Parts: sequence; C-alpha cells; structure tokens
Amino acid sequence: MHGAAAPTLNRGHHKRRAGRTILPTIWFTIPALVVYLIIVIYPALSGAAYAFTDWSGVGEQLRFVGLENFRKVFTDAQSLAALRNAVALTIFIVFVQNGVGLVLALGVHSKIKSRNVLRTIFFAPAVVSPVVIAFLWKYLFDPRPEEGINAVLGFIGLDFLRQNWLGDPSIALWSIGIMIVWQLAGYSMVIFLAGLQGVPQELHEAASIDGAGGLRRFRSITLPLLAPAITICTLLSVIGGLKLFDQVFALTGGGPGYATETPSTVIYKEAFVYGNYGYSTAIALVLAVVVAAVALVQLKWLRGKEVEA
Amino acid sequence: MTTSQLGRARRRIGLVIGSAVATLSLVACGGVETNDGDQPSGEGITLEIVGNTNGQDATEALVEAYEAENPNVNFTTSYAPVDQLQTALRTRLGAGNAPDLFAAWPGDGSSMATVPLAQAGLAAPISDQDWLTRVPESLRPLLGYEGESYLWSAGVGIIGTIYNERVFEENNVAIPETWSELLDTCTQFESLGIAPMALGNQTPWITQLISYAIATTVAFGEEPELAEMMLTGERTFSNSGWRETLERYMLLEETGCFNDNVNGTTVEQAISMLADGDAAMMVTVSPHYGQVLDASEGRATFGMFPFPAAEDPDDLVIPAGIAQGFMASPTSDHLDIAKDFLAFIGQQEQSEAFAEAGDLIPFGSEDPAELDPILQPFAQLINDDRAMPYPDQQWPNAEVQPTHFAVIQQLFAGTTSIDQALQTLDDAYND
Repeated sequence: MHGAAAPTLNRGHHKRRAGRTILPTIWFTIPALVVYLIIVIYPALSGAAYAFTDWSGVGEQLRFVGLENFRKVFTDAQSLAALRNAVALTIFIVFVQNGVGLVLALGVHSKIKSRNVLRTIFFAPAVVSPVVIAFLWKYLFDPRPEEGINAVLGFIGLDFLRQNWLGDPSIALWSIGIMIVWQLAGYSMVIFLAGLQGVPQELHEAASIDGAGGLRRFRSITLPLLAPAITICTLLSVIGGLKLFDQVFALTGGGPGYATETPSTVIYKEAFVYGNYGYSTAIALVLAVVVAAVALVQLKWLRGKEVEA
Repeated sequence: MTTSQLGRARRRIGLVIGSAVATLSLVACGGVETNDGDQPSGEGITLEIVGNTNGQDATEALVEAYEAENPNVNFTTSYAPVDQLQTALRTRLGAGNAPDLFAAWPGDGSSMATVPLAQAGLAAPISDQDWLTRVPESLRPLLGYEGESYLWSAGVGIIGTIYNERVFEENNVAIPETWSELLDTCTQFESLGIAPMALGNQTPWITQLISYAIATTVAFGEEPELAEMMLTGERTFSNSGWRETLERYMLLEETGCFNDNVNGTTVEQAISMLADGDAAMMVTVSPHYGQVLDASEGRATFGMFPFPAAEDPDDLVIPAGIAQGFMASPTSDHLDIAKDFLAFIGQQEQSEAFAEAGDLIPFGSEDPAELDPILQPFAQLINDDRAMPYPDQQWPNAEVQPTHFAVIQQLFAGTTSIDQALQTLDDAYND
C-alpha cells in the first residue's frame, strides 16, 4: 500500500507545482494582452468594418456599400498597376538583396583582418530610418550631370550610363529597388552570417580531403545548410516588398504619374488624400490576405527543402 | 452597420482607449496629481494650435502677440510640412481629437479644405467677425460653406515668374510681356546654354503652377464662369480651355523652355538652379521668393513678373488664391477663446504682419505702393479684377488635384496624350 500511494502523492505535488507555475504566468501576461487587444486587435477588426462603407475618414456621414469597395479593388487600373509594381519590386529585392547579402556574408565570414569593421559598415544602413535613407538618395539621384550618381558616372568615364533616375517612368521603380538593396543587403548579410557560422567545419574538411573544390563545397555543403537562413531572408523580403511604403513615398511619392505606386501608397492616398477611407480599408484588407497567403505558401515550400547538418 | 452604430462604436473604442491610457498613466506616475493643460488649475488656459512649417515664424509671432494681450492664455504649437500636416490633421480630426486651432485651406478640392471640413461639422463658424469685411466679396465664399464663414486667412498668394536679374542683364534679354515674347525668350536662353525656366516636377504640387498660370488667362479669361459651368456639366476638362492650357504647357516643353529631366528635378533643386544662375526664371508661388534669396546668398538680385500667358497684356488674368489659414474646432474645450484668437489675428495689423512674412497680399490693401515691390504689379492686377482663385479651390472633390499632378508628370514622361490626360481629369472630377 505504501509503495502504491507514493506515485499518487507525487502526481498531486507536480499538479500543484504546475498550477503555481502557470497561473502567475497567465496573470502577468494579461495586462499586455489587454493592451494588445485594445490597441491592435480591436481597432484592426473594427477598422475592417469601414471596408464595407463609403466613409470619408472624417465626420459621421457614411453609407453601407456592401462589397462594392472590394469589386473596385479588382477592377481599378491604378490598384492593379500598384500590385504589379509591388510584385516586380519584390522579385527584384528578393533576388538582388539576398544575393548581395549572401556575397557580403561569405566575404566577411573569411579570415580577413577588417571583417568586424566591414560587418558594421555593411549593416549600418539597415538601422537608419528608411525615410532618412530616401532623402539622402534623393540627392544621389539628382538628374543633373554634375550631381550625385551621374557625376560619379561622368568622373569614371561612364557618361552613357547617366540617367533621369526618378523622373523616367521606366527606371524610377528600379531606382527605388537599388536604394532598398543598398540599405537592406547588410540585414540579409547578418542572417546569412549566422547561418554560415552554424555550418560544421568538419564537413568542409572532409569534402576537401575527398577532393571537392570551393565551388563544389559551397553548392553541396554551405548552400543546403544555409536553407533556414534563406527561408528567413526571402520571407522577410517578400513581406517587406509587398507592403513597401516609406521608401517609395519619400523618394517618388508614387510618381512620375503612377509609375511607382505600390498598394501601400495607394492605401495612403485613398485614405488621407482622396478621402476614400472605406475603399482604402478594402485595399488594405486584400493586401493583408495576399501577403499572408504568399508568406504561408512560401514558408511551407522553403521549409520542405531545408536539411540538417 | 448604420451611421449611428459606427459612430457609437468609434466613441466606445475612444472611451475604452482613453480609459486604458489614463489608467496606465496613473499607474506609471504612481498617482501624481494632474491638471488639464500645461498650467496649474486656475492659473491659465492652454490651447493647441497646429500649423504649417512654412509659416512657423509668422504664426509664433501671432501667438506671442495674443498671449501678451491675454496673459491667462497659453498656446502649445506644433508644425509640419504641408503633406504630413494634412495627413496628421485629417487623422486627428477623423479620430475626434482635433486641436483647438489648426491649419486649413480655402474652398474645396483637398481633404483639408474648408468645404469638406464644414460639411463634416469639423469647423466652427466665424461669420460674425469684423475682419471678414476686408475680404473682397468675390473671394469670401472660399472661406466658407453655405453662407457661413469658417476659415481665417491673412490674404492672397499669387503665382508669378521669379527671375534672376543678373542673368537677364548679363545676356541682354528683356523681360517677356506676351506669350510670343516668352517663347522667344526661351529660345534665346536655350541658345546660351542657360535653362530658361527651372521646373521641379518631381515635387508633385509644383506641376500645377504653370498649368494654373496659363489656365486663368486661356481657359477662364475667355469663360469667366468656367468653374460653375464645369460643376453643372456644361463644360468638362476635355471640352474647355483646359485643352489649350495643356497644349500650351507642352509647347513650352517642346520649345525648350525648361531644364532637362523636369520629372526627376525637385523644387529645391529648381530653386537652387535659379539662385545659381543655371536657370533664368521659375514660375512659382510668391512665398518661394524668400527661399530663392536665401539660396542665392547675395550672389544675384531677383524680381518677379506676372506669367505672360496672353498675347495682349491687357487680356492677362493671373492666378491669385486665398492662402492657407486657420480654423477653430467646434469640439474645442475653449471654443470662445479659439474664435477670439481668429478675430484677433484678423485685425489689420496682425494679418499684414503674417502676410508680409509669407509674401502674401493682405486683404484690404488698397494701395499697392505700400506692398513689397515684387508684389505690386500683382496687387494692381487684383485691384483691376484681373485675377481669379486657383482652379483647384473650386474643384468638387479631393481627387482632381492629385490627378492633375499625375497627368502632367505623365505628359512630360510621354506616357499619356493630352486627350487621355483630359479624360483622366474628367473621370476624377466626376468620381
């Protein structure tokens, strides 16, 4: 009897311990949870209701319009063009930003003496406000031949590459892309660097003994083991690219014409410039669903390709 | 969901957030005593005023003058550039958190213009204030809605041509007085390798200035009732003088009147070109005159003349719009004081000081000779009834003006035609 009773007492003891551990944790989270619900969740959900109205953003006058705003999202040429711009910019950012980030990471992962200084320099732009970066680049993108990037191109004899960086509709979107890559490649570099430091050195040594060259080792060892870092980097780039706002708004304001509009700049203009708050909310809802869907599919696909060392 | 349900929902969330923030503040402060405003209870009243960065010094001067006469009243002031200012104010007004006094614009045509704000009940009427009698009757409707006045403004801003006198003198070029002379002047400067006119269309609102400078003569000069005719549908952008306006704008571009890459040039860069002598002229608003002088740092002198949009100078009609001003919020806890402040700054002395700081022509300035010399020819034209408000102040919704910016950028980029541009404007007008 004594032997049989002992486990029961122990279970009860564990139960009480578990109860004491969990309850205070819940109580401590409640204030933060309440604030989060009030400040984030409730306004987001109640804001969604405006997508079914024609509210102007000020005053009490509004009318229920059903799904009219959503119909307009999928038929309005400006919204669809903005979505196309965002997709093009996202693809550019995903490949170029992460490609440059990976090259930088491989460079500063080597044993060169200045690697810590270089890591800091490459990462520095990522911690500066996107708006500040955009204003700086506005000067670099000065179209006059004796200013900014055009002056540098002239100085090194590449006059034929001078551009009207922000004024030419066929170039302006890519100018924004270049600025974003410059700012955020260091951010990708840091993530890739963390991934590179997790690649076991023994695998490289064993492969070297087997006669594998640098390129082969990168392709067969480094790259597969970097898959988790690639997943994170591309996921962040896709989400950031699709909802891009600050840099576009500060650099071109969506122009010239509508050449660099993104869904986020359209949302802003519809709500705060045109006074179409209801329609703006509908675009925001559609964008949120699109970003979430793309991110989930991408995450699932990339996770399936990850391997462990 | 009905209007009242959504209204109640907004009030509820406002109440809940307000209570939560108040509770958190009390918790954070450990129960410190609080008073409304910055001053201890009983010692003074504090009002909030939100204004335009461009008029910051002039606004501060008005506030100081009022505080000096009313020692129990204090103001907290904050400023932002126009784009951010309109967004921030619109958000605060929408959330029911309006400042006591805030910047607003005359007429219709933008989200922070008088008509939509008055329609939404977000502006307090000030129709009984004495200073309104100094506002010309033709302009007074732009300060209000349905017979009531809501907006205080110091006066009228004009669009004209600032020119670099040194560049004109050194190259023996005369100031153009007619449209043909303007085209000739462009050709002369272009052959000298100097940009005839600096144009910074990368800054969206700059795109409209030459359009307005042409339209007031070409479109409205021939049909002074054009704005009303467009409202009734009798005229549209496509079948009015707006077509010739855009054609002439593009003719200036084809003649080589502008710097290269206007769509990639900002207003700051354009001002710098004029100040440096790389450009001879710039069509812009009068408040930019001071910025050009600052950028020049004394290297040149500058003058201003009306944009010669007419073939006969006697046919010239200039754009002269009521400048941005201030409104009182009807939800202000100190509405009487807010209105009193507007009445105070409406006094001739205060308005003239504000107008002078912003290169505006104050209401009631009967003698142009007393004005800044650069404004005198414009004041004379206004007195001769050869001026009309900026066209956007009479457009029926906030979508037309930004559409106007966009189509002009597209015309310069060659991605649209004049026909398409006019149709796009008509679509926005009827939206």
